Amino acid sequence: MGQPLHLAVLAAAAWAVGALAVTWLRARGFGRRVLLAPAAGDRSAGVCYAFTRAMLPQAKESVRMHLPSYAAGMVFHLGTFAAFGVLAFVLAGVDLPAAVVWPARIATLAGALGGLALLAKRALTPHLRGLSSPDDFVANLLTTSFAALAGAASLRPQLQTAWLVVATMLLLYLPIGKIRHCIFFFSSRAYLGAFFGYRGTFPSAS
Amino acid sequence: MVTIEERIDALTERELQHGLDVFRSKLRAAEASYLNACVHCGLCAESCHYFRMEPTLENVPARKLDHVAAVFRRHFTTAGRLAPGLVGARGFDRAMVRAWLDAVFGRCSLCGRCSLNCTIGIGLPRVFRAARAALAAMDLVPDDLQATVDNSLRHGNNMAITREDWVDTVQWLEEELQMETGDPEARLPLDRHGAKMLFTVNPREPKFFPLSLQASAKVFWAAREDWTLASDPGWDLTNYGLFNCNDEQAGQITQNLVDAMARLGCTTLVIGECGHGFGAARWEGPEWLQRTYPFELRSMLDVMDEYLESGRITVDPARNAKTVTLHDPCNLVRHGGVSEPQRRVLRRSVSRFVEMTPSREHNFCCGGGGGQLAMAAYKDRRIRSGGMKAQQIKDTGAEIVVAPCHNCIDQLMELNKEYRLGVQIKTVAEMVAEALVTDGPPPTDGKGTT
Repeated sequence: MGQPLHLAVLAAAAWAVGALAVTWLRARGFGRRVLLAPAAGDRSAGVCYAFTRAMLPQAKESVRMHLPSYAAGMVFHLGTFAAFGVLAFVLAGVDLPAAVVWPARIATLAGALGGLALLAKRALTPHLRGLSSPDDFVANLLTTSFAALAGAASLRPQLQTAWLVVATMLLLYLPIGKIRHCIFFFSSRAYLGAFFGYRGTFPSAS
Repeated sequence: MVTIEERIDALTERELQHGLDVFRSKLRAAEASYLNACVHCGLCAESCHYFRMEPTLENVPARKLDHVAAVFRRHFTTAGRLAPGLVGARGFDRAMVRAWLDAVFGRCSLCGRCSLNCTIGIGLPRVFRAARAALAAMDLVPDDLQATVDNSLRHGNNMAITREDWVDTVQWLEEELQMETGDPEARLPLDRHGAKMLFTVNPREPKFFPLSLQASAKVFWAAREDWTLASDPGWDLTNYGLFNCNDEQAGQITQNLVDAMARLGCTTLVIGECGHGFGAARWEGPEWLQRTYPFELRSMLDVMDEYLESGRITVDPARNAKTVTLHDPCNLVRHGGVSEPQRRVLRRSVSRFVEMTPSREHNFCCGGGGGQLAMAAYKDRRIRSGGMKAQQIKDTGAEIVVAPCHNCIDQLMELNKEYRLGVQIKTVAEMVAEALVTDGPPPTDGKGTT
C-alpha cells in the first residue's frame, strides 16, 4: 500500500463505485410502476426463479443453442472475478494463500482465453459485428487484458506494473461503457423476474 | 392522405422533442435498467421468429433494442452526451425515427420470447412499448393500425360493426343454438341486467366466425350459466391501444368494458378467447385507468376449466377424435400467465392432444401479434416470420390446431394456406362444444338462461 500505482487503482475503484452508484440511482429515479391489477403469482418467487432455474440451459434456448459461447462467457466472468480477488490481496499487501495461487492463475488465464474467444466471435460473426460499437471492443479488451495480466503477473512479477495500469484503466472505464452491466444485470433480472412472477408466468410450469 | 413517410419528413424539432418527452415519460426504473444493461452478446437472435426466418442484423432483438437504447444513451446518460461515438449513442432525428418505426412496429410482435432468452434478462417489449408510445405521440402509428383503434373509439368495436348488425347476429345465433340444442329456451341473452357474467367477444366472431360465439353460448347453456352479452359498447374485448401504445386511447377503450359492467350490474367480466384482449383488460387496463376494477375478471378458458372440474358440464373426448395441438398466444400465456386451464380443458375434451415444441411461455409467436395483423405494410414479413409456427405445427402431425385467440386464428389461417398445413383451426370453446354431453334440454333455472 502507499505505492503510487496502488493509490491510482484505489482512486479509480472509488470513481467506479461512485459513478456506478450515481448511474444506478439515476435509473432508479425514473420511478416505480404502480401495479393495480391483482397479482396472479408471487413477485419474489419470480425473482428467485429468474436468478436460478431461468438461467440454466433447460430453461433457456439461447444457452442450449450457444453452449460454447455460454461456457466462454462463464469462464470469462469467473476469470474476471478471480482477477479482482487477486487485486484485492495485492492492494491489501497480503500474500495470496498458497492453496489458491494456482486456481487463481488458471481461472484468470482461462478467463482471458474466454474473453479472447468472445472477442473473436464478435469480430467474425456478421450480425454481432453489426451490433457492436467501439465500447464493445474496448470493454472486452480491457477486461481480457486485466484477467490475462492478473494470471501472468503472478508468474512474472515484472508484469505487475502493467497489470495495475490496466486495472486502473478498467476501473476508470467501468461506469462509462457496457461493463456497467455489473450492476444492471442484477436489477434487470430482478425486474424481469418480478414482472413474470406477478403475472404468474414465473416460476415456469413447464 | 399524407403518408407516414411524408409525416416523418415534415417532423419539426418541436415534434421530435415531444416524442422524446413522451418516451421519457413512459420509462420507469425497470426500463431504465434494461436500457443500461444490454451487452450486445447477440444470443437473443434465434429466440426471435423474425430472425429465425430471415437471419439479418435488423431482425436481431438486440439490434432493435439498440436503436432505442442509442437514443436513451444520447439524451439521458452522461457518457452518451460526452462520448456518443464510443458508447453508440445517437440523437433522436428523422433517420432514427425511421429506424424506430421499422424496428418496433415493423419487426416486432411484442411477443417477449427474447426476454426469456436474454443473457441479462431485459424485458424488451416494455422498452418497445415506450418507443411505440413516442411514435404515437408524433402521429406515426401505421395508419391501418391506428384506424383499428379509431374504430373502437368511434364505434365501440374495432370493426365498426353497427349495433343493429351486432344484435341481428346475436339473435340469429340464438335461433341456431336453439336448433342445435333442441331447446327453445336456449338463449344468447342481450343486456340482461343483474346477470352474473358479462361475456365479451372479439368482433371477428360476429363478423367472420359466428360459430365460435355460438360454441361459447352452447357451453354457457350447458352449464346453465347466468350470463349476458351487451348490445352497446362494452361487448368488444379487443383493445388495439395495447399495440399503438397510446395509453389514453387504450384507457378509453377499456372504459367501455367498465361502463358495460356498471350499466348491466354484472359481477364477473369474462374475456373470450383473445390473447391481447385478455392482456389488455386483465393486466394493462387498471394501469391505463389508474384504478382497480370493482368486479372480477376471468378468462373464458378459466370458466370452462371450472365447469369441467366441478362437473357442471361433461364432455366425451371421443367426439373429438382427431389429433389436436394447442397454440399458446403470447399475450395470454407468456405475458398473461394463463397456460394450464386450456390444457386441462383440452385433455378432457379431445382424444389425442399433442404439445408443440417448445410450448407454454417458450412457444413461438404465430407472427400476428403486436398489431401485425392490422399493418398491411409489414404483411410479407408477418407471413415469413410465421414460418416458425408453421413448422411447429407440422412437427406435431396434428389435424386440428386450437388457438384461444382470434388474432392468432387469423394469422394461423393465413399460414395454413401459405405453408399448406392442411389443418383445421378452432377455438377451445369449439372443441368443448363439440364434445358436450347433454341429455336433452337442461331444466330451466328461472333466470331464462337455459
